[in-house]
Amino acid sequence: MNTKLKIDKLYTLSSENRKFSFPLPLKNKIRIGKRDYIVQLKADEKYGTYILWKNRRYPVEIVRSRQNKYEILFNDISYTFTVETPFSLQRKKVLDSKKGKTEQEFVRAPMPGKIIDVLVREGSAVLRGEPVVILEAMKMQNEIQSPVNGKVIKISTKANTNVLKDDVLVEIKAE
Amino acid sequence: MDHHTKTNIKHILVANRGEIAVRIIKTARLMKIKTVAIKTAIEPTAMYLSLADDIFDNTEDLSEIPVFLDIEKLISIALKTGADSVHPGYGFLAESAYFAQKCIDNKIIYIGPSPDAIYKMGNKTIARRLALKNGIPMAMGSEGNISNDEEAVKIAEKIGYPVIIKAASGGGGRGMRIVRKAEEMERMFVIASKEAEKAFNDPSVFIEKYIENPKHIEFQILGDTRGNIIHLGERECSIQRKHQKLLEEAPSCALDNNLRKKMGNMAVQIAKTVNYYSAGTVEFLLDSDKNFYFMEMNTRIQVEHPVTEIVTGIDLIEQQIRIANGESLKLKQEDVKLKGWAIECRINAENVQAGFAPDPGKIEKISMPSDPYIRVDTGIQAGSSVLSQYDSMIAKLIVSGKNRKEAIKNCKMALDKVWIKGTKTTLPFFRLLVRNQKFQDGTFTTAFIEKDLDKYYFNSEYEEMLAAWFATKLFVEENLEANSINVDFENSKEMSPWLMNKRLNQF
Repeated sequence: MNTKLKIDKLYTLSSENRKFSFPLPLKNKIRIGKRDYIVQLKADEKYGTYILWKNRRYPVEIVRSRQNKYEILFNDISYTFTVETPFSLQRKKVLDSKKGKTEQEFVRAPMPGKIIDVLVREGSAVLRGEPVVILEAMKMQNEIQSPVNGKVIKISTKANTNVLKDDVLVEIKAE
Repeated sequence: MDHHTKTNIKHILVANRGEIAVRIIKTARLMKIKTVAIKTAIEPTAMYLSLADDIFDNTEDLSEIPVFLDIEKLISIALKTGADSVHPGYGFLAESAYFAQKCIDNKIIYIGPSPDAIYKMGNKTIARRLALKNGIPMAMGSEGNISNDEEAVKIAEKIGYPVIIKAASGGGGRGMRIVRKAEEMERMFVIASKEAEKAFNDPSVFIEKYIENPKHIEFQILGDTRGNIIHLGERECSIQRKHQKLLEEAPSCALDNNLRKKMGNMAVQIAKTVNYYSAGTVEFLLDSDKNFYFMEMNTRIQVEHPVTEIVTGIDLIEQQIRIANGESLKLKQEDVKLKGWAIECRINAENVQAGFAPDPGKIEKISMPSDPYIRVDTGIQAGSSVLSQYDSMIAKLIVSGKNRKEAIKNCKMALDKVWIKGTKTTLPFFRLLVRNQKFQDGTFTTAFIEKDLDKYYFNSEYEEMLAAWFATKLFVEENLEANSINVDFENSKEMSPWLMNKRLNQF
């Protein structure tokens, strides 16, 4: 990395492709329109960690972080962000444009449980919303559905196996 | 309310846990009745234990089956602790005719209906027959249980699709599947039957015509052992997902006094077919033309009972205890007056961004609002865990108002004052709901969540930006440590201790 370059801002991208930029050094102020609002990160015994903004407390938590990727739980909703410098953002854009359009989708277990049935085979064509696996958890049989239209390329589980949250169950190639 | 009474019931074994155990103990205390609660190995510090007069220590029992489902064990605990009665709460053995009978056989008062009523109403095919025989309106369906998907297809063709497959011994939404065409029948039949076997130890299922877009309206029943039965008005429970209720209110804006009277009378009539006593609930579906159909009767206290308590001023647990004690109902139907409006939000440890998947875990912080119009029923305190072995309930937030509009307004305020850290919760869903036009209008049906919502949570305008700011702050602090990029951090050299701790714990 070129250490001579000065980074004057960071771009924080949400998984839904919304872009926020924050000037460096990062301040406890956020500009909205023509006004600056104070944002404070605080923690105490009663509330744990929270953000104070316009006289209201919002609970905040780090769910996961890896390199520049952060999953944040904010007021009971989780958001995934990647934080990019102007240079890494540029690099990302180039990489993204080189990547093909067809994407591989991993169907993961949304919760720990037991696989009751696999409803598709390798090579099966599936539609978005079509159930692919039945997962039993907390006494309920849950249909795990395909997130995309596509073709099943790999099945990584079978009936009567216990799975953990986020285990890959089925791989689907989107079409 | 005068809770004092001369009573045979002096010592109740609370055969349950969580918020309902707390709820039962609270009323017992008001009535000066002693309680004994059961301490289990997986929840040795649960809140309900701190409120009971006595604790039976069952922590040595490492059986995989919860003690609350172990009939022999519960009877022996009752006998050992000198409890003269048992309250089953809801779930677990609350609708086990065999458990009720075992209590009676051992001269323990069962605080609930008769084993016969539990059995008949618990078996949906018997309940259907009883209702048909007594001229109660019902959806068309199979005569009795069906044994395979071919038979199911035949019946479905006769009554017309869509149909719903239901577990004969079912309840609470389990073992139910909607079938819209013949090709789906085989798969759905297998799923429903397997789920029924797993949940109720009985794979039998039956078929009913599926009523599209109904409202779920249920009536609270109270009956004594002398044949007096009254209803305490209705609850509207149409806000549900996969037949799991999320929000309930009393009364329902779909009913006027006429319809209330008609449905209430019908509910009482159904209860009479099994000489019902104790508290019970008769569930109906109400279609858009205001036709109603008997669905099932629940022979227990229900999760959503507080909304009825608020609008009637009647303590249902107290009534259950008095009735079990052999007292006759002091209330007549004309004494029951509905006043105001109440809404209950079930705050569960669930991930609304991942199809309401359970998100069990430790509740690190919990603080619930307290105001005259707010009631909170919970069995969770800071440090408690929502365990994957049990349901995902954290707390019931029950909010009232003079009318529905005010109750919704109060609910909106109350939701912003609830503070829970540790797991994801259904709070963002309720925040969305109270702002939804269709919810405010009251025109929603049981299909509301699946059909009328395109997202399941609410966040205010700047929340995502604030979360992004927080992520950026973390990035800045982490990369300041690693010193991997050349940034002028002069003004943000603050590595707060909480963040250090957090990282040491997590990674």
